[in-house]
Amino acid sequence: MLRRHFMALASAASLALGAGAATAQQAPAPLDNPGDVTIALVRYLSTGDFFQAYLSGVETQAEALGVNLRVLDSRQDAALQADMVDQAIALGVDGIIIQHGLTESMRDAAQRAVEAGIKVVAFDVNVENDAIPQIEQSDYLLGKLALEQAIEDNGDSFTAGYVYVPGIAPLDRRHVAWEEIKEANPGIEEAARIGTLDNPIANANANQARAALQANPGISVFFAPYNEFAKGVKIAADELGLSGQMSIYSADISTADIALMREPGSAWKATVATNPAVVGEVSVRALALMLAGEDPGASVIVPPTLITQTFLNDENIRNMEDLGAKMPQFQHADVAMADWMPLPPR
Amino acid sequence: MNDRLLDFAIRYGFLILLAGMVVYFSLAAPGFFGPLSAAFVLQSVAITGILALGVTCTLVVGGFDLSIGAVATSALMLSAYSMVILEHPTLVAVLLCLAMGAFVGLVNGLLIVKFRVPDLLATLGMMFLLIGLQRIPTQGNSIATGMMLSDGRVAEGTFSAAFLWLGRHRFDLVIDRLLPMPVVIFVSIAVLVWLFLGFTRHGRLMYAIGSNARAAALVGTPVNRYKIAAYMISGVTASIGGILLAARLGRGDIASGNNLLLDSVAAALIGFAVLGAARPNAFGTAIGALFVGILLQGMTMMNAPYYTQDFVKGAVLVAALVFTFYLSSRRSGAGH
Repeated sequence: MLRRHFMALASAASLALGAGAATAQQAPAPLDNPGDVTIALVRYLSTGDFFQAYLSGVETQAEALGVNLRVLDSRQDAALQADMVDQAIALGVDGIIIQHGLTESMRDAAQRAVEAGIKVVAFDVNVENDAIPQIEQSDYLLGKLALEQAIEDNGDSFTAGYVYVPGIAPLDRRHVAWEEIKEANPGIEEAARIGTLDNPIANANANQARAALQANPGISVFFAPYNEFAKGVKIAADELGLSGQMSIYSADISTADIALMREPGSAWKATVATNPAVVGEVSVRALALMLAGEDPGASVIVPPTLITQTFLNDENIRNMEDLGAKMPQFQHADVAMADWMPLPPR
Repeated sequence: MNDRLLDFAIRYGFLILLAGMVVYFSLAAPGFFGPLSAAFVLQSVAITGILALGVTCTLVVGGFDLSIGAVATSALMLSAYSMVILEHPTLVAVLLCLAMGAFVGLVNGLLIVKFRVPDLLATLGMMFLLIGLQRIPTQGNSIATGMMLSDGRVAEGTFSAAFLWLGRHRFDLVIDRLLPMPVVIFVSIAVLVWLFLGFTRHGRLMYAIGSNARAAALVGTPVNRYKIAAYMISGVTASIGGILLAARLGRGDIASGNNLLLDSVAAALIGFAVLGAARPNAFGTAIGALFVGILLQGMTMMNAPYYTQDFVKGAVLVAALVFTFYLSSRRSGAGH
């Protein structure tokens, strides 16, 4: 109770300060009175560091706006997720963020929400609805930037290993970049393809990567476009004593990954990532724009950032917070912005 | 003549299949045959193998433990929490994990013998409980050095070298740095469980409980104590598996452990078929784990995608169960 009072006071104070600092920046209706606005986050995936960070981004941006947030978590139950959208409609929320899910199960539910006059944005799920903007971290660019770095470091002809599990939307989009790079550079030979989502993912992929590296000792570059995959390949490279002779390029990042990339002699040379917390913030901001009657555009893309081992070492970065401080584009994405939009405190 | 052939097939069929597979992969996959490759196959099965030996003990007393995967990942998180956040030394972290495993086994056992909850249901409940519990202290985040804690501090603790040694050290054998520590632990536990189940009075009583608990009780066996002991063994071996997993990964990774559970149960069930035992046994379990490991290593070397591997794992399990239940029943039918 005390805490809620305190938060109300704090947000009132920050609103007052904001208003004082820039008189013309009064938020448009209904966000001029954000205490009366409720938004819902309807989740499909929630377990793991990425989703945890995404949620924290949604929470901080919602708090900065002063709106109420309801989190509905279906825990990978597609039918339940659709029901939860109906629940949110029944609750009378003003806006809904759909986070992941299946097109088939979410299309109709999303349409019902739009018909009920609720503003909806979707993150990483295509609900095939023109009234619903897509928030995306560009997985294609994620893969492309990592591979461009691989070519810069290793030249355009090398023997490669690749980790891929088809049927997982972000991995499929990263796969497009891999196919393109192979097409454009005939010198790149894919000697082995592995990949599994058996859990613990890093452990299962380590076993596979080790077998692949033993069978193909010529591999000098491993493209592992997901941090758990990269971790598995790195364990295998360490166990085989090959870390000095090969390089790993990956996507996504976490505090633990930073430590692994910075280990002396680590084969993990670069990763490309979007900060999931920033994606969460952007999702809320896009929804806020719609609530205010503005148009965030049909697709809102959060641009990814290349993070190299050299950069981490040079700047002595230990965790995600350090990374955000040293790499401002990782801390904040300048998309779905407006003059009146309050940002979370840094 | 036919009976003798059948008998031979039941006894040695699985081992012959194993040998045939090794020969095939050695010819088909370059780099498969050799001491290094063998050590790695053993390493990849060591953790599931250790869990499988624990579940074997519960199978022996006619029970089942569905919580082993969750115990292993709880030990993984607990060891990381202890070292990275509480900054405990290695020994404390290891002892905490072992104690946690023994405690979970004790609770499982008490639920089953005192509260009469069926074994599958009690351990299923425990599985869900642990999957949730292990995430509460870190609000669902993985644990790694340098992580930001909820009070704004940065976790300064690290996985100590001694702890990582448990998962990563390799002993010199024939060639330098060949034999990984987890394999040594796996083989030691396999030998211990094999001796315990097959050659001690306690082990024989556990088999007696498994085949007829009431008869065993009537001749004066403390059935409940042995059942609880079996679940405690299973909990402790699962926590050893979790410690080795943590030492290999070097961080407290969020994971449900369901695949660990399924793989180790598969290994224990395949073990029924080895040497025509038609019952849970430690030697069979170890061979079963090895069988799956060799198959996966060979297939990966030949670039087979992950779904074919699941398919083949399933096929092996079905074949092993047919060996166990159909052929063995025919053999005993013919014998009488």
